[in-house]
Amino acid sequence: MTSDTPENVTVELSAGAVHLTIDAALYPLEAVYGASYIFVDRCYVFLGRPREGVIVATLQTKAAEPGEDALRALVGEFANELLSCAWRAQITAQNRAVIESVTSQALAGAMGPPSLDDLADFDFSDDGFEDPLGIAQSWEEKHGRAAPKAPAQAAAPADEPAAAGEEGEG
Amino acid sequence: MIELRFHRDLYAGEDVDAAIKAFAAVARCEQEAADDAFVVRVEPLYPKHARRIVGELGNYALARTIERGGRR
Repeated sequence: MTSDTPENVTVELSAGAVHLTIDAALYPLEAVYGASYIFVDRCYVFLGRPREGVIVATLQTKAAEPGEDALRALVGEFANELLSCAWRAQITAQNRAVIESVTSQALAGAMGPPSLDDLADFDFSDDGFEDPLGIAQSWEEKHGRAAPKAPAQAAAPADEPAAAGEEGEG
Repeated sequence: MIELRFHRDLYAGEDVDAAIKAFAAVARCEQEAADDAFVVRVEPLYPKHARRIVGELGNYALARTIERGGRR
């Protein structure tokens, strides 16, 4: 093959095969599987592991004597597909928590309303609830004004002046 | 005889066995278990189609392994 062939690609033109050396640290096995599966109907795919951390994908055309251009196109498309599969695998891994959350909510909703037995077993009491940080308190309970004093205590000493003030204003 | 080495990290043993059974009508196979691979020596019964038989046998084992979600 020509000098612009990547270092990780070797060609056996006589066998109609091309070998692509894949760094397993860059491309997870799922991505290698995904790309291989797509190419199974176009060529013979054989995976090997010559040493730890390296996977070699051997692509052999189904036509007996492919040209150099056909092999170059084949390995190029495989490399593109490999990159695509690796990227998809990464996106899936990143979104796994969201997907699991949405799925579990959907499944919980699909289970339907609780039965009477479920309701009978449900603990409606507040006894077991502990709130050491006061999270369940309302804003008024936490930061609101102090409750006014009892009317009997507050009204008794100020009874006469208040009454005098009302008379003066009227 | 063509020797194929199906690495244990990449191929499921059950699927290699399934491939050998599926191609029994067109190829005689000898199995040998190495430390890191399932070694299969393939003797195609139709030498004219040897390349195709060996290639399809490898594809069969790989596709089945992928369909089961990879090696277990």
